[in-house]
Amino acid sequence: MTTKKKRSPHTATDSWVVIAADSALETEKPQNGDPTFVKLKNPATGATSQYLFSSGDERVYEVKAFNEEYRSWFIGQMVQRDGRLLYVTPVDPVFLVLPYLQSGEVEGKFQPLQQVVMDEDYPACTRLLKCKQALESVHHVADEKEVSSQKFHRYNQEKTLEWLKKKVENTVTALKKTDIAVGGAVKSTTYVRVKQESDATEEDYLRYAHGLISEYISEELSKDLHKHLQLPEISSPKVEPPSKKRKLSDKPVEAGEDYTKFNSSDFARKAPKKMTAAQKSLAKVDKSGMKSMSAFFSPKVKQEKN
Amino acid sequence: MDLGVFEADNSVSCRLASAVPEDCKNEDCCLGIDEAGRGPVLDSKTLSEAERENLFEKLDEAKSFVGWALQILSPNTISTSMLQRAKYNLNALSHDAAIGLVQFALDSGVQLKEVFVDTVGPAEKYEEKLSKRFSGIKVTVRPKADSLFPIVSAASICAKVARDRVVKDWKFAEDLGEVDTEYGSGYPNDPKTKSWMLKYLDPVFGYPQFVRFSWSTAQTLMDSKAVTEDGEKAAARQNNTSMLSYFGRNKPAGQTQTRETHRFFTERRLQTVDTL
Amino acid sequence: MSVNGCVTTVQLGSLSQADKSQLHLLPCEIEHDGPAEISRFFTPTVKEQKCEKTVSFRGRGLKGQEVSCPQGYTGLVLKEVQRPSSDQEDRIVKVSSVFQNFVYWNLETLPTSDDGVVKAMAWPSLAEMIHAPVD
Repeated sequence: MTTKKKRSPHTATDSWVVIAADSALETEKPQNGDPTFVKLKNPATGATSQYLFSSGDERVYEVKAFNEEYRSWFIGQMVQRDGRLLYVTPVDPVFLVLPYLQSGEVEGKFQPLQQVVMDEDYPACTRLLKCKQALESVHHVADEKEVSSQKFHRYNQEKTLEWLKKKVENTVTALKKTDIAVGGAVKSTTYVRVKQESDATEEDYLRYAHGLISEYISEELSKDLHKHLQLPEISSPKVEPPSKKRKLSDKPVEAGEDYTKFNSSDFARKAPKKMTAAQKSLAKVDKSGMKSMSAFFSPKVKQEKN
Repeated sequence: MDLGVFEADNSVSCRLASAVPEDCKNEDCCLGIDEAGRGPVLDSKTLSEAERENLFEKLDEAKSFVGWALQILSPNTISTSMLQRAKYNLNALSHDAAIGLVQFALDSGVQLKEVFVDTVGPAEKYEEKLSKRFSGIKVTVRPKADSLFPIVSAASICAKVARDRVVKDWKFAEDLGEVDTEYGSGYPNDPKTKSWMLKYLDPVFGYPQFVRFSWSTAQTLMDSKAVTEDGEKAAARQNNTSMLSYFGRNKPAGQTQTRETHRFFTERRLQTVDTL
Repeated sequence: MSVNGCVTTVQLGSLSQADKSQLHLLPCEIEHDGPAEISRFFTPTVKEQKCEKTVSFRGRGLKGQEVSCPQGYTGLVLKEVQRPSSDQEDRIVKVSSVFQNFVYWNLETLPTSDDGVVKAMAWPSLAEMIHAPVD
């Protein structure tokens, strides 16, 4: 509302609005303790991302934030400045284990997972090995050997690509049940999309699903998977991101007949002084003198004078 | 004058009217238009509230040949119009209300031949606008028309009586308990007005809908005493939602350069979270 | 230990005492964290017609729509129990409120199925599919 005040900086957040899978909040055994948010290495980017282990590290979840600029919450009788909405959704632990398997591979040797999945930058990664789904599914991406009841693993690229292909296929099946628009080129999100393009091809679905799965694997593996799926290369794949497409100037149009300046503290009306929009703008600048350009161009609410 | 319809919901605009006198449907008529409420409530130079009520009664006694219609623009309507993205200023609002009232008279079967209007904005331009809109009617727009044409004086009485009553009997939609009705004159330097404005300023919500948020005095007080609310940028945001991903508060480090996030997520404003 | 070693524990025991607050997601940033007279200024002025809600906030017209949590999901407001003195410390949060839906407000325009938050609600069910074990 005000154009003069600068936005005060964010103080550290101590409250979060979250939508979490009910399974993330289940406690099978009370002695297993509470769920915990941890930081792990993002398998796609290598950067730090936030995850959550359910009680007893049974399952792992990722955290995504719905984050629109300029949003705040009312919660009961409280205001929360941070308008993010966090989603806590399941993540396949195999995705998170995979980079360690890949990088830990030495001369095709079988190794115990505990030796491979460790990271002094992300100490919580060892907890992935307690996840049921990790233990049950790791054979999809690695060869397994059991010696005197101890398991040893070795990364297997072919198996991994097959597993990823199945992931893609399952995702395609899931996508077809939704109204998510998978077709064609990227359209600006500012335009309302037709519910589901009937012309979305099998390839569109495959490409879209590949893109989604690629959010959980390295760029290199993503390229290998692309080949494995026999997806044709797109000749001009770089579509300008929608975020940069339109830059509207929302400088308000100055009304030609603004009357709010007179009829102010006086009930008796004075004859309107004629002033063009341009003159008015100029008058404003003159007064403000050293006012910055940005202040001048920022949309200003026309106020009633009184 | 029964303001019940407006009082039932004083956040929106509303039209109130007397019965249309039979004479007005059968004989040539003139119509006067004036507005009230733009400025402060009290004015020593004109009539007192009691005198206006008195005159309105006289008007009511003449109902066999004088009818009236009111367009009440609630303070909330004015605030939201003036602060909306496609700016709608007070003059345009006033002009549209006047046009609506003339049309209403025509639709009610009034044999309208002449219209007299107290100007809002430059008189000639306004007169031209109305003449164009109502081609069969002679339109006269003048500054201070309320002191030049008796029919506009009558309109002025109606408008002011309605304004007085609306202010006096304002029912707050907010749950504010017993509200102090010592509003004062509405002049920003009136001590009563001043203390009321300070007393009822909420740091988050500003004012109840009784106060026009577009009023500079309200704005100034909110600027200095209330928490900042970035509505202006919210407006910009709405005009150009695609700029959003640009402003992202928690841009995941390392992801910006290396990998482009899949459009499923960017279209949904979903980001990975690096820290809680 | 590195900064990444810190964990944030969610005290599930607090779930039973969590209140059921009404949540509103507003189309502006309010530079304030803390109490506000929401039940006095905001709630009584919300008007509803069918699924369309309207209200004014600071003289601006807002339009809102109720958005529900996806099936199998619960809305939680987590609150830090004690503010840590540094980012090298483990943190503890409790569940202060639970919710199944909230009101999403836009400036002047009614939220549609093309709005971010409405579309974002499709994420959990898709995530479940992407991350389900492969047979």
